[in-house]
Amino acid sequence: MIAIGGAAVLLLLGLISPADAFLTLVRDWNTFLFFLGMMALSALAEAAGLFDWLAVQAARFAGKSAVRLFFNVFLLGSLISMILSNDATALILTPIVYVLVTKLRLPILPYLFACTFIADTASFLLPVSNPINIIIISRFPLDLWTFVRLLFLPSLVVIGINIGVFFLLYRKQLKGTFDIGRLPSAEQAVKHQAYFRYTCGVLALVALAYVIASAIQLPLSLVALSGAVLLLIGALFWKQTSLGQTAKRISWSIFGFIAGMFIVVRAIEDTGLTTMFGNWLIRLSGGTSFGAVMVGTAGAAVGTNLINNVPMAVVMISALSGIQHASPSIQHGFIAATIFGCDLGPNLTTVGSLATVLWLLILRQRGVDVSGLDYFKVGVVVTPLMLLAGALTIWLLL
Amino acid sequence: MRVLCCLDGTNVEQVSKAIEMLSTSQPLTIGLIYVTDSGPRHDIEHLRERFLRPPGPPPPREEEMRQAEKSSAQDILNEGLRRFPSAEAIQRQGRPEREIVNAAAEWQADLVIICPRAEYGGRHTIGPKSVGHVARFVVDHAPCPVLLVRPLAREQFPIPR
Repeated sequence: MIAIGGAAVLLLLGLISPADAFLTLVRDWNTFLFFLGMMALSALAEAAGLFDWLAVQAARFAGKSAVRLFFNVFLLGSLISMILSNDATALILTPIVYVLVTKLRLPILPYLFACTFIADTASFLLPVSNPINIIIISRFPLDLWTFVRLLFLPSLVVIGINIGVFFLLYRKQLKGTFDIGRLPSAEQAVKHQAYFRYTCGVLALVALAYVIASAIQLPLSLVALSGAVLLLIGALFWKQTSLGQTAKRISWSIFGFIAGMFIVVRAIEDTGLTTMFGNWLIRLSGGTSFGAVMVGTAGAAVGTNLINNVPMAVVMISALSGIQHASPSIQHGFIAATIFGCDLGPNLTTVGSLATVLWLLILRQRGVDVSGLDYFKVGVVVTPLMLLAGALTIWLLL
Repeated sequence: MRVLCCLDGTNVEQVSKAIEMLSTSQPLTIGLIYVTDSGPRHDIEHLRERFLRPPGPPPPREEEMRQAEKSSAQDILNEGLRRFPSAEAIQRQGRPEREIVNAAAEWQADLVIICPRAEYGGRHTIGPKSVGHVARFVVDHAPCPVLLVRPLAREQFPIPR
């Protein structure tokens, strides 16, 4: 509401013309359609019981070991983030894992944190792993090879750090075993065999199409939407969901938020503020690729924690519009660092932003029941380490 | 004497031993409490807010989570009831440490039995931080004496002098 309200005020005050606002939104059609396709794909895969089935399989493959299940949750979260984006891991897998570990009587927080953190930590394995990546590469196109070359290895490095630090932090709570008898059967998770198989087939095709589309620089939103349409046809054919139910599972307010943000940032662009910010970042980098990666990462990561990663990504693409004149290594350094910082940065506060953390601290001082600070304590330990190691790896790969 | 026993899903054995020792000296009225921690649910809500979604998961998932919490709590209390069939079972939801001390006051407990922390298969180690935040809060705030029951740790001695 705030983003839309801000955009409406700017339009009313004449600080941005309706035509300019419209063109700004049309220019970013790929982002809007990708969000739609991504949310629909996840919702329809959830309707097939795919995530529940995968979680049960992760537990079965763990034998009875709590520590192996912990590791499997990381692997599963990485896989889901990579193909269906971090939204699916954070919003769909997390409650499923919560139910699973509650039933298995395992300590809940380590598994919950594993899901939450890996959602972002594994969100730059591929361009489709985070909608933020689409926002950024829609403005600064990176071919698949360059994206993978610059960000795949740093992804593996930070995933390794994330897993390693979490094992150290929670080693005492993960020593036990669980009773396999408490595990729901995999068949229970599948709501309809034929639709389930169809969903697996369509998602495999979508994953392949993502790679091909990234390689030949076709808009990824078209792949996501096509996959969602195929799943919807299957779901309607086997009567697993209706159009109305699917629409209810999509968060339509997000589109208003993103549209509002695009318009607000476009209006700010006209004041020259974002250009100033961009020039300041470029100056701060000292004209070196090392500086570009470090400044880009730090700027994006701090910004995502001050506002939110979606607005920060929009601010960064506007601020970095002046890097076209820089050398390719500095350009790539800034773009990769922006993706990396905006994707991984939220793990610092996780609850959303520093403002939320401060608010939680105030509430706790007043004796009000709050959580979220537990996340912050873990985030503060692990995220700076991951940011530093990942940024250094990106720099080495430039 | 009214004794309120705090179950955590891993400690029914230890609590039972303590009750057996106490019951030799006087008749006991036993209460068994299990609190489902609401913290993780709040964390999931914060996470959804960060992803710009409404706080609660969609209704079917919400119901599934509620059912899992309820049946797990019931299982844990049933384990206790199998050992002490005449005990009163108390099931709560919220911040465990606060629910326990409030329940102790409402139930008019003369003694609260609690373990230092839930033990998930690891060996209990003595020393700093061996008492978790729930037990520490209960020791600090309970309206009656608190019996902190921990496993024998003789093999960890002698400690450095």
